[in-house]
Amino acid sequence: MDNAPTRPSRPGLDDLTHSLDIPLERIAVEHADLVEAIRRRVVEGGPVPSGTVPVALFNSAI
Amino acid sequence: MHSRCDLSCDHCYVYQHADQTWRGRPVRMPLATVRAVAQRIAEHAREHELPVVHVVLHGGEPLLLGAAGLREVLAELRAAITPWTRLDLRMQTNGVLLDEELCRLFVEYDVRVGVSLDGDRAANDRHRVFAHGGSSHDHVRRALALLRRPEHRASYAGILCTIDVRNDPDRVYEALLAESPPRVDLLLPHATWDHPPERPGPEPTPYADWLGRIHRRWVDDGRPMSIRMFEALRPGGGGTEAFGLAPADVLVVEADGSWEQVDSLKTAYHGAAGTGFDVFDHSVDEATRHPGVAVRQDGVAGLCATCRACPVVDRCGGGLYAHRWRTGSGFDNPSVYCADLLRLIDTVDAYPPPTPPASGELSTISPVDELLDDLATGHGSASTLALLAATQLSITRALLAACRDGSGTTPAWELLVHLDQAAPEAIRAVLAHPFVRPGLVHRLHSSAPPGVGAAVDPLPALAIAAALRAGVPAALHVPVRADTITFPALGSLVLPGLGESAEVTVRPGEFQVRGGSVEQTVLLDPVAQPSTGWFPTRDVSVPGGRLLLEDGDPYRDCYGQPVEPRLDGPAARALGRTLAEAWRVVHRDVPAHAAALDGGLRAVVPLAADPARPLRSATARHAFGAVAVTPHSDPETMAVLLVHEWQHAKLGAVLDLYDLVESGQAAQIRVPWRPDPRPPEGVLQGVYAHLAITQVWQSRAATDQGDASANAAHFLAWTRDGADALLASRSLTAAGERFVGQLRHALEETRAGAG
Ligand code: SF4
Ligand code: SF4
Repeated sequence: MDNAPTRPSRPGLDDLTHSLDIPLERIAVEHADLVEAIRRRVVEGGPVPSGTVPVALFNSAI
Repeated sequence: MHSRCDLSCDHCYVYQHADQTWRGRPVRMPLATVRAVAQRIAEHAREHELPVVHVVLHGGEPLLLGAAGLREVLAELRAAITPWTRLDLRMQTNGVLLDEELCRLFVEYDVRVGVSLDGDRAANDRHRVFAHGGSSHDHVRRALALLRRPEHRASYAGILCTIDVRNDPDRVYEALLAESPPRVDLLLPHATWDHPPERPGPEPTPYADWLGRIHRRWVDDGRPMSIRMFEALRPGGGGTEAFGLAPADVLVVEADGSWEQVDSLKTAYHGAAGTGFDVFDHSVDEATRHPGVAVRQDGVAGLCATCRACPVVDRCGGGLYAHRWRTGSGFDNPSVYCADLLRLIDTVDAYPPPTPPASGELSTISPVDELLDDLATGHGSASTLALLAATQLSITRALLAACRDGSGTTPAWELLVHLDQAAPEAIRAVLAHPFVRPGLVHRLHSSAPPGVGAAVDPLPALAIAAALRAGVPAALHVPVRADTITFPALGSLVLPGLGESAEVTVRPGEFQVRGGSVEQTVLLDPVAQPSTGWFPTRDVSVPGGRLLLEDGDPYRDCYGQPVEPRLDGPAARALGRTLAEAWRVVHRDVPAHAAALDGGLRAVVPLAADPARPLRSATARHAFGAVAVTPHSDPETMAVLLVHEWQHAKLGAVLDLYDLVESGQAAQIRVPWRPDPRPPEGVLQGVYAHLAITQVWQSRAATDQGDASANAAHFLAWTRDGADALLASRSLTAAGERFVGQLRHALEETRAGAG
């Protein structure tokens, strides 16, 4: 058995700018890892460290 | 799943390395054990309200279970876990047994399959052979061809390639590329200080040289596939288990149900991965309390002294845990690949793309340092703003794709796909609306755990909004919420009696709505009186273009404080006048900040008035391109609020891309602007906003307006003290340190400029 890294890496600048040129229809298939990484970082907040600022309310959070 | 294998690879750590525990284990995981594992995972997801759980089926060779056996396992896992969380199912296989029936099964159960292939035939067959010595190459390529078929492609996760420096890197690269994998994982061979990796030639860092060669090809080709190792090693890119400091969150279940740590540890010593716990008697929480797992949650603190002092530790993270093993000192060592890792990071840094591969306006992509340095001036150039806006749009598109993943192909999705081709500008304009992302995030959030009321599907309204913009005829059923349908950036239709869903038909210059007891045609003539029930989103002309007064979109309510309901005509006009005037004030005071504002601020949300706190403003991480303010009539004050909030919006977009603050930091930092200690990210946001405000007051002081100089001095001190406290806290990543260091520098220049 090979050791597969399981954690998706963060969305990279290049992946993001590349995927802008990919038709919507193909993003989910060809950039499944990007979608997963974004889902994890943006929707689920990723492996969120304690002490980060909530997404809203910067003003009272600074 | 299955502890034996049909191949007999000589680099396999299961059978060939120190740990020989497989010998005492059942050949395949009994269904009762699968059930127990599934229950444990479900229990853990439920107790911790996990949004997602990743399960990787592996072996030995999991396909030895056969289609019927695998179906039982997959059904068991889905049935137990999916009610509680999103289950991301993956499988790692050698591919030998993969056939169409299995591919269909994986598509049906949404399993993403990674296949092991070490490169071209010669490279692959160096290790990956059958017990009789025969080649596995054709078998594996046939498996990859099956996964590439359009009907199976969703299940194609990528290729896992274990490197051997005796192979020709160019041929390996070409062989991998030929399989068009969505992602490639290049793995360093398993090794420890007791059993160092093979270094066949005189070169001190053959692994770095070999990988460097592939990196160069990859960059030259415009990065045609994702190679996780290179992406993880970029500054701010850390994030696989092999590199970087993200806490280890992987547990392994063996075929007999015992919990183990990551199985690459098997390379270290017999029983290295064992925890002594099993799924029948111990929960996930109990297993993770094992000291071997716990130490790996510690980030930098869990590393040896050499790594802790290493300049690239935030990217390397000490390498793969198993590679640190040495009898005597255990795992308290740098990676046995340390020299290679250091050199590889240098190589990756030294070979940036000569010209980025993207097209059009994106051809000015800056690498991370350039981006951060530019923003650390306080404002950021037009091209940086364009880049941030582009990445935000890309994130929104990916979220849209994720929504489709959840609900399958619907007419709304098909219309979006069609318009993406036929009218890309219309799609772009709709998706760039700041409150599209909050809607998609809400939808994705609520689709995972049951019990939570599912959010309405935002896709139909998005598709119709794009069709309306493009003037393309279309018809869809659109969900109705509280008698209202909102078309992002266009307006809201409020008609009592619409029911739960209405059919919306787009025709040139108008649309028709039919739902419940209501039928209504809405004309989209901007100069005519709006049709009954139609409340178009108002906008105001500002130097940056048209600024929306967003007081109708339900997802604008994302600021953690009440938003104002729709303003009446005079109030909207008054706010519009103040904003336009404030924008001109920003141009007068700080033209560089004004340019950044022009480049991205698209909407302002009125916050509900509160006499106790009349002057408030806010930014939301999910709503780039918008700020929220309490309506206020003084443009000079409003200008300060706009500049302040726009700093947060820019930095929020950066934080979507890079970690500037070290993860797992519980540090609280004392700041001059509040009595209570603050988390590092809050301090970073504060410093960045205050830097801009310092620049505003310094500019005003130059034309001598009352207490402008005193304000400038005050914000300067806040910014400086905040930045110094951040730097002293050691809570920043390398990228974060660079950013704050540059920002500190900008501050000194600001001060010098102010004389
Ligand atoms: S295919 Fe995987 S599990 Fe089988 S022998 Fe090779 S490396 Fe080991
Ligand atoms: S390069 Fe070497 S010293 Fe630096 S973190 Fe990696 S293993 Fe440790």
